[in-house]
Parts: sequence; structure tokens; C-alpha cells
Amino acid sequence: MNLNYSDEQQMLRDQVQKFCESDYSFNKREEILRSELGYDADLWKLFSELGWLSLPFSEKNGGFGYGPVELSVLFEEFGKVLIVEPYLSTIVLSGTILDKSNYTNSASLLEEITSGSSQISLAYLEDGSKNDHTSTNSNLSKSDTGYVLNGTKGLVLNGGNADRFIVSAKKDDELTLLIVDADKKGISVNTYPTIDGQSCAEITFENVDVAESNIIATGLEAVELLDNTISLATLCISAESIGCMTACYLKTVEYTKGREQFGQPISNFQVLQHKMVDMFIESEVCKSLLFKAMLECESEAETKFKSVSALKAQIGKSGKAVAQDAVQLHGGMGVSDEMSIGHYLKKLIAIDALFGNSNYHLTKYSQL
Amino acid sequence: MEINFTDADIKFRDEVRAYLKNDYPAHVRDKQNNGIELTKQDMIDYHKSISAKGWMGYNWPEEYGGTGWSSTQIYIFQTEFGLAGCPPLLAFGVSMVGPVIYTFGNDEQKAKYLPDILNFDTWWCQGYSEPGSGSDLASLKTKAVKDGDDYIINGSKTWTTLAQNADWIFCLVRTETTQIKQEGISFILIDMKTPGIEVKPIITIDGEHEVNSVFFTDVRVPAENLIGEEGKGWTYAKFLLAHERFGIAGVANSKRSLNTLKGIVKELDNEELARKVANLEINLSSLEFTELRLLSALENGAHPGAESSILKIRGTEIQQELTELFVEAAGEYALIYPGPHGHGDNAKPAGPEYAAQSVSKYLNMRKTSIYGGSNEIQKNIISKHVLGV
Repeated sequence: MNLNYSDEQQMLRDQVQKFCESDYSFNKREEILRSELGYDADLWKLFSELGWLSLPFSEKNGGFGYGPVELSVLFEEFGKVLIVEPYLSTIVLSGTILDKSNYTNSASLLEEITSGSSQISLAYLEDGSKNDHTSTNSNLSKSDTGYVLNGTKGLVLNGGNADRFIVSAKKDDELTLLIVDADKKGISVNTYPTIDGQSCAEITFENVDVAESNIIATGLEAVELLDNTISLATLCISAESIGCMTACYLKTVEYTKGREQFGQPISNFQVLQHKMVDMFIESEVCKSLLFKAMLECESEAETKFKSVSALKAQIGKSGKAVAQDAVQLHGGMGVSDEMSIGHYLKKLIAIDALFGNSNYHLTKYSQL
Repeated sequence: MEINFTDADIKFRDEVRAYLKNDYPAHVRDKQNNGIELTKQDMIDYHKSISAKGWMGYNWPEEYGGTGWSSTQIYIFQTEFGLAGCPPLLAFGVSMVGPVIYTFGNDEQKAKYLPDILNFDTWWCQGYSEPGSGSDLASLKTKAVKDGDDYIINGSKTWTTLAQNADWIFCLVRTETTQIKQEGISFILIDMKTPGIEVKPIITIDGEHEVNSVFFTDVRVPAENLIGEEGKGWTYAKFLLAHERFGIAGVANSKRSLNTLKGIVKELDNEELARKVANLEINLSSLEFTELRLLSALENGAHPGAESSILKIRGTEIQQELTELFVEAAGEYALIYPGPHGHGDNAKPAGPEYAAQSVSKYLNMRKTSIYGGSNEIQKNIISKHVLGV
């Protein structure tokens, strides 16, 4: 039994931390969000050069073969400064599906995304799919030349910037994952901003031609790929939320120490001290559940999904509580858009909403 | 990172399990499993069976007759005992006064007291709190005045757990009135049979007699019973508290209750309650891994400090919530309250078996967030030492 980070993992954390602290100020982030792309293409290139975009992929696909622990380290540090670059959508969601599948074009597609020259988004959610990520009304039917795809996908993360989509659809009643170019005839993309400053898209596929060679996986393989990828992504954003919570209590401690009222720093007041301790405890217990989930990633499906649901149920609840208290303790400044603290609240609300919220995962946990 | 224990640790765990299967006294086990209160003799039998195994000094170094176990072994030992539903080991001797004696006591004191602790021939109790000093422990007033080779002690202690069974008491007393209240405190050992000591029961809201008031009137104690230096008692008291952190979370015992509760809730088919139980189970998992993280850091040579106050806060919150959910599961049968004298003429109370004990346990557990440094005090500690406020 050993729950300590290895030297290698610690070095990765130091590297990411150093970048976040020196190159990702809140003002810089604001600037990035105002840009048309919504993320910084130069920084994305830098992520590629630092090897971060290849972290989770197997060595045969040119990756480092790292697991959930290294990804969590990265996401926790990203969370502390609210990184907006599309790591989750392109690398974790789309990249993992390609990496874990037996798809023949995986290696070349992964090469494109890890070099930073291409973005891929996963289009799986639909109106009425109610957190069941394998349920779909999109349809892949046989045609003279191959298949045609019809359907509408919602909440496609970074969809507006994607060069390709990985799409879930039914083919002869079997779940199928396929990949299509974003500029194909019959695809329309409608982009929306999200609460955390990023963007997602609604995408309609109308009689889009798909070749046999575009099919990544079908049947049980497709279901397992989606289940495992969403589970890993859930773990990643949970780690991100822990980074957000850590930043929230640290920033709040700093703020209350500097803010004077009634002739003294407001951090002298016990009522505020205990609230900040509660914030600290919430983030620590979330971290403990993250350790459990990371360590049980290789366990059998039920244990693994149960520990991820426990984590997601908890971080949704704790994240909101911590960020709300952080805003409260910042007083009027807490609700001012020019302060970073409110943006942590928004990020934590976004994280709770993604991949099933706290309530959903508590129900799932109690039924597993 | 590695979630599994080493082969050596697994072998050790099996040894602990073998004790629990073969040597844990059957009459104690039966009473524990049926929620029947243990007598003084039961507790002695239980502790002596552990002494016989050579395990009483489970958290002591070998040079004083302890096991010299690693933190992981101690964790496994406590966890297995908890999962088996054993009563927690009485801490006053082995975990509290023992380490103070072998760390700060002289050779005569070590020779005199340590073997009796390891054999459970002495039942110790703790004389810290006073009517006027609870969380502000250093404000204590019980006085020890030097008189020849003795100290004369006057004052009173309160909330003294199981003083009615104790042979000896270790006390914090004031040997000097100083500007800084921490400085005039000394640590002294007192034979409970000494003339001038009176023990009076305090009945708690669950109807039980667990704690007492202890009054000292001109109690003459040999000066050789003083541990370490006069006026250094506060240092020893703080050392003792630091020694007591592990196991305070009570994870294994809570797991056992939770399993019972889950069985009950399944029968009830109550979705709202099932969600609360699921939530509690998640909280318990997080506590378990918080403890494992601290354990791991400790084994890695780190010295986790005030972070371990989290174990006290969350552990007691969970223990309390568990008892609340048993009361909730009992529904209307929670009305039935056996008290300390059983059920009167009714041999068996109405309603499910767990219901009759649910409120007593709930009331009993209220103490956990108050004792051992109240949870509010723990938050002050975290605020000061972790957040730096």
C-alpha cells in the first residue's frame, strides 16, 4: 500500500505548476477567452512540445502510456488556474477512444492531435439521452457507396473548433462509433458559449456519407470504449475540480488576511476561519475519493464505476459549497466579474453538470 | 501508487484474524454482537487475552516491551479489530500514560508501571478536564503543593471515563501559579485507593454511567510519582495528544455499523433513506482514504500534522450520522427507550431489535464531537496550523 506520488509524477506536477504560475495569469486567460478561437493556439503547440498532449496514449501510438494518476496531476494543476485549452475534448475524450480501439487509422489520427495540428470532438449526447451515454437516435444506414449518417448531437465540447467528429450512432441496432470530417457535406454546426467561458456545439448530420473505413468500433466494443472513456474523463474533471477548490480556499485565505474591517483583518473572525477550514476539509475529502478512484481504475467494471460515481457525486456537492463560500467570503468583490473567484464558481458548476451531476451519480452509486 | 498491502502485511493480517477467530474471548464476542453491555470483568478478560498474545503494546517500541509494529501494521491491527466488532482497546494505559512514562519517566517509573500496563494489571483513567476547564485545558486549577517528600493535592476532575473501574489516575495538576498558565502544570500519577479521593458518577443522557467526577481532598501523593520535570506537564500532555491521532477516525467500526444499516434499509424499501445511506457510505470511503493517505505519508517519512484533525472531525460526524440513520430507520419504534435498567417486565421490546437501542446509541454518540478536543477546537487547530490564519 503506497499512496505517494512517484518522483516522475512529482516532476510532471512541478512542470505543469511552473507553466500555470508563470504563463497563465487570470488576465492572460481573459484575453484568450476574448479571442475568436477561445483558446490559445500557441500554448496548445507548447503543450504538444512539452509532451502533455501524448501523456495518456499507449506507446504504440506514440504516447507515454501514462494512466489516470498522471492525468489527474495535470488536471488538478489545470484547475488551479482554470485552463481553457481543449485538453478534455480532444485528448481525453476523442484521443482515448482512438487509442483504446482497434481502429486502423488511430495512430495517424493520434499523431495529428498530439502534434497540436488538429482537434477532434466527441459527439455522443442527444436530446433525451438523459446521461445514458450509449443511448442514441442517430442512425447509420447502408447506402450504395457505404453508409449515410443522420442525427443531431448536442453539447459537443469544443465542437466549433473541431476538424473531425467522433460520432455515436445506431447501425442495425448496434451502437457504432465513427469518425467524420467536420467539413463534410450535410454537417451543420451551431456553436454556443458555455458557463465556464468555453464553447460547445449542436451538430446536425443530414445524409452525411460515411465510408466503412470511418467506422471505429461497433457493438460491445463501442459500448465499452464509451463507458471507459467517459469514466476516465469524469475522473479528470473531478481532479480539475479539486484544483479549483484548492485555489478557492487558498485565494480566500489570502483575501481575508488582507481585507480589513472593524480595524482588523477579517481572517481574525472565527466564523470565517471555520468556514475556510470547511472549504479545506471538503477539498481534502474529495482528494481522498480521487485517490480511491485512481487506484481502482484497473479493478473490475462495477468497482471502478462505483468509485468514479462516488467521486463525481462528492465533487459536485463539495465544489459548489466551496466556491459559494469563497464568493461569500470575498464579499461584494466575490460577485465582481473582474475577480477570478466567481470564475471558479462557474467552472465548478460546469464540472458538476458534465457527465452526470452529483444527484445523478448518487443515484447511480446507490444502485450499483 | 499501489492500493494492495504487501505479502508480509497480508500475512500479518491473517495472524490478527487468527486471534479474532481463536483467542478473542467468546463471552465478550457474544455480548458485543448482541449489544449487551460489557462488565468490568469482561473488559479485563478481553484485554488480558490481547496481553497474552503479546500485543498490548501494539503501538510501543520493542525496547519497552511493545510490538515495534510499523504504522501499517498498527492500522491493520485496529482495522481488523474494528471490522470484527471488538470494543476499542482502552486507551488510557497503553496509548496515553504508557508513552508518556517511557518517553519522559525515569527508570524506576518505567520498571514500576510499564509491565502492569502491558499485562493489563492496572486500569488507568485520565484526570485532565475540570469543571471549569474543558476546551481551555490549561486553565485547570487542581493544586499540588509540595510537603516534604509528598505533594498534597486538592481539587476536582470531571468527565473521567470509567474512573469507577480504575486503579490509577494520571493527572494534570497545578504546581505553581504562573503568568503563562501552561507553565505551572505538572504530570502526576495517583493511586485511586489513596485516602481523600472520592468518585461520583455522572449519568449521561443515554442513561449510562460511563463518566465521573473525581474529588481530591488533601490527597497525599509521593513526589516520586511526578513524571519528568515539575512545570513541564503541559509539554507531556501535548505529546500525549499527538500520540492519539491514529484510529480516532473509527473507520472500521463505522464500516461494520454501516453494513448492518444497509441490511436494514434494504428490507425497508425506503428510497430516501437509501440515498442518505449511500451518501454516508461515500463519506466513509473518503474518510478511509484520508486515513490511508496520512498513513502512507507517515510510512514515507513525512510527519502529518494538523491535517489529522480532519480524521477527528469527519470520523465523529460520520459516527453520529450513522446513529441518526438507525433512529430514522426505526421510525415510530424509536420511541421505545430501554434506559440502563433494561425493558422492565418486557423481556423483548416491541419492534425490530435494532430499534430499541437506536436512540441510546444516538444519545451516547453526541459526546464524540465534544471530547478529545471538540470539533470546533479541531477547526481552530486546522485554521492556525494548516491555513496559517
